Amino acid sequence: MSAAEPDALAEPGDAGIRWQRPSPLLLRARRIQVGLVTLPVALVGGLIAGAAGSPALGLGVGLGLVVAGLLSERFLARRVAAWGYAERRDDLMVRRGVLIRRQSVVPYGRMQFIDVTAGPVERSLGLATLRMHTAAAASDARIPGLDRAQAAKLRDQLASLGETQAAGL
Amino acid sequence: VTVPPAGGSPAPPVPPADDIASWHRLHPLSPLVRAGRHLVGIGILVILFLFANQRGSQTGNDLIYDLVIIALVLGAGLVSWLVTRWQVADGVLRIETGLVRRQSRRFPLSQVQAIDVVQTGLARVLGLAELRLRMAGGDSSGGRLASLPLADAERLRQRLLSMAHASGPAAAGTPPGTPAPGQVAGPERPLFRVRSECLVGAIALSRTGVFAGVVIAALLAVIAATGQPGVTASLLPVVIGVALGIWRRFNGEFGTAVSAAPDGLRLRSGLVQTTAETIRPGRVQAVRLVEPLVWRLFGWCRLEVDVAGARQRRENRSEAQRLRALVPVGSRADAERMLGELLTAPPRPTRRPPARARWKAPLGYHFLGWDGDDRYVVASRGRVCRTTTWVPLEKVQSIRWVQGPVQRRLGLASVRLDVAGRRVTASIADRDAAEAQQILARLPDLARAARQAGRAAPGGAARGGAARGGTARDAVNRA
Repeated sequence: MSAAEPDALAEPGDAGIRWQRPSPLLLRARRIQVGLVTLPVALVGGLIAGAAGSPALGLGVGLGLVVAGLLSERFLARRVAAWGYAERRDDLMVRRGVLIRRQSVVPYGRMQFIDVTAGPVERSLGLATLRMHTAAAASDARIPGLDRAQAAKLRDQLASLGETQAAGL
Repeated sequence: VTVPPAGGSPAPPVPPADDIASWHRLHPLSPLVRAGRHLVGIGILVILFLFANQRGSQTGNDLIYDLVIIALVLGAGLVSWLVTRWQVADGVLRIETGLVRRQSRRFPLSQVQAIDVVQTGLARVLGLAELRLRMAGGDSSGGRLASLPLADAERLRQRLLSMAHASGPAAAGTPPGTPAPGQVAGPERPLFRVRSECLVGAIALSRTGVFAGVVIAALLAVIAATGQPGVTASLLPVVIGVALGIWRRFNGEFGTAVSAAPDGLRLRSGLVQTTAETIRPGRVQAVRLVEPLVWRLFGWCRLEVDVAGARQRRENRSEAQRLRALVPVGSRADAERMLGELLTAPPRPTRRPPARARWKAPLGYHFLGWDGDDRYVVASRGRVCRTTTWVPLEKVQSIRWVQGPVQRRLGLASVRLDVAGRRVTASIADRDAAEAQQILARLPDLARAARQAGRAAPGGAARGGAARGGTARDAVNRA
């Protein structure tokens, strides 16, 4: 999954928007996260089934859960590939989602504050999630899987843009 | 620090005109008013306990405990009154409070969204009122001055508002036709007054009312079936909850009267607790017209406005979630008149979605629609409870385009417009995908133009203002 790959998820009106992608490491981060959830769940599920039924059943349940985790890989890749953002002249555009596709447009002038967060998995891969908040609770402009340096750069850039274009309520 | 003589009825702590710059205390009776609500609650509890422990022997003990609690509440109130003081200086209202944990809060008047005068039942008996400052930040960010004598509260409110106007042309969203300081208290033109019988009917036919009916019916059925009224005691909390809900709504919306004043729409309402607030047109984030199924039979509707900054009612969370009802219940004509007062030539949701949207929203299709010009976007939806939302483009915080799996199959998409707060989103639902894409492409520019126009000519934005270039409607016509 490289940034240069042709845009399979382009919307009809996308011409002229230069979508930027999160870091390719995001897919790895998501895989690790799924793995971190799947393995304990499979282990516990297998142990419970094993204790309640037969050891074979326990093994089956555990393996089944692991396979389910592996299958989610397919969806993960598509979900990660669906993320994109574009810094336009006056607003930030973010798109995401495979089943339910969303695109958000947030004018820089509406920005109230910016969060840059990084969970343990993201941190270990040098990634961060950037989130732009407006006065509306429903606005969601979140960009996961940015390179940490890039996230900091984007944050400063957005903050200065927000300052120059600031609008009140 | 001016210390008023305790219990002095002509209540000196408040400002004859010019010395609000020095420190003041609140009215000495304010702890009593503050505790009033708790006293009522405690009183009910005492009665309940007495009732429940009729056969018990420690009734006397309980009573003593309750009296101790009441004394503690009053004592705490007295201490908090002693350590609370306020001052207005340099366009900033400062409130200092707290004995152990000192707290000093500053409210820059230029940031004030509105100032309400609220009188609870007890306060009305004592001739006191509470001043509530609404800031944009929502629930806990506002300031309260509780309580001042009513006349002083009104005077202080006007002074603060005129100071807010004087210091606030730089503040964004300055209301249209900003009056000169001192002009704030001009003549008022009455616009609407809710009819009490309508309100009773409307509440009875609302969701809460129907729920209350069901609860009462259930109670009666249980009593009839068992023949023992005592069985229903366990349902008491539900009954009390429902009754409180209905009472709050009735109390809050009773006698709602709206009039146009130079600084905006003046809204007064309340039966026991009265509230007077001013809605400045430039602060209106959204307007919503709600027509529930049953109300439509009577030709009734409800018009609400969303203003930044939640209503300051810590005691009542649900109140903050609700919008301010300018027309709690009224005819279409009432609502239209009020709408015309809030927005200039508002568009109607006349653009229908493509017929294939019926597959996605078989019921909702009936009322789906939107329209927009260079100032407003309107969208309507909902089959049972028809909701039409107007949003000034100037106030749009973000725009979202959403396409679910069914919509994708049908070639549809929705666009949502968010305004400040968590209450209102205008949803242009189930449009043709190409049209939705057009809307998404054009609206940000239109919104920016509207914002800039609003900033260039403060006041010209929400009302008036010549047509500027393309409108949202044109955007789609060109598509």
